[in-house]
Amino acid sequence: MLLEGKRLVVTGVLNEQSIAFSVARLAQEAGAELVLTGFGRGLRITERIAKRLPEPPPVLELDVTVAEHHQRLAADLGERWGAVDGLVHAVAFAPEAALGGSFLDTAWEDAATALHVSTYSFASLSASLAPLLRAAGGGAVVGLDFDGTRAWPAYDWMGVAKAGLEATSRYVARDLGPQGTRVNLVAAGPLRTVAAKGIDGFEDIERSWGAQAPLGWDVTDAEPVARTVCALLSDWLPATTGMVVHADGGAHAIGAPPPPASS
Amino acid sequence: MSSSVYDRVSKILVENFGVEEDKISSEATFEDLDLDSLDLVEFSLAAEEELGVRIEDEEAEALGTLGDAVKLLADKGADPSDG
Repeated sequence: MLLEGKRLVVTGVLNEQSIAFSVARLAQEAGAELVLTGFGRGLRITERIAKRLPEPPPVLELDVTVAEHHQRLAADLGERWGAVDGLVHAVAFAPEAALGGSFLDTAWEDAATALHVSTYSFASLSASLAPLLRAAGGGAVVGLDFDGTRAWPAYDWMGVAKAGLEATSRYVARDLGPQGTRVNLVAAGPLRTVAAKGIDGFEDIERSWGAQAPLGWDVTDAEPVARTVCALLSDWLPATTGMVVHADGGAHAIGAPPPPASS
Repeated sequence: MSSSVYDRVSKILVENFGVEEDKISSEATFEDLDLDSLDLVEFSLAAEEELGVRIEDEEAEALGTLGDAVKLLADKGADPSDG
């Protein structure tokens, strides 16, 4: 099986619509052993939803902005497994004031929160687990992205955070490459997750995506993105690091949607 | 039947979300009860587990009042007897 015996840490499982939930389910079906992490009030929700996976995994507390949580997570995983084969970073947050069309009025504090949780945490969490990844022979870090090379309606400071995430992943790839760790992002098409629904105006992005994507796009199906994450966690992309892999139906490659078909 | 679903839903709100009992009424909105979108995610899961019916995301978003939630759960055949 694709992920047989892989010991994986999956963040960001909130409900069954979460991309990370699909990753967790597919990874288990592919033979992986999992630990999930949850945050604050979300921890209780993650504990509930974990029971709906084929094999309910343990859930550890991780607020990515709290250094002690990083240390505790690394210590727990060290004791539990001694090594980690893969980390899925599916963590992002922006205050309402940093989203939904008030870009030029957003205060630094709100933008800073978005960058701390969604961008900086990719580097800090990778660093915290680096010794355990090294112990596994290198392992893989995979983060979730939304194309940060362009400006989108409503996405605002989360878009800046994702652009920063893309840059951050290249630097983490640079610094963990020598120990054999592969570091990549998956840029997803828009999906109706709890996170996306929190953004007023995100549906404007959803609407045009299916028409623009040569392969089409289903905003309710996270599995294509999750499969891509699992592929990057596997041993089958051994020379790939510092990449943003688009799992978006191909929309990123097309300049404008095709004209409506004449009947 | 829906009155007992109402009791079960009230119990979930009091026990899981610390909602004060005297704030609960059919007309109360989730906003009145200080439940935000994250709470609604958890409420849907809890109701699913305790009452054995599934609330889809789109349905959860459309819920205005507690009465709406009770009606939805009852219409979907929530079983108030077990648990």
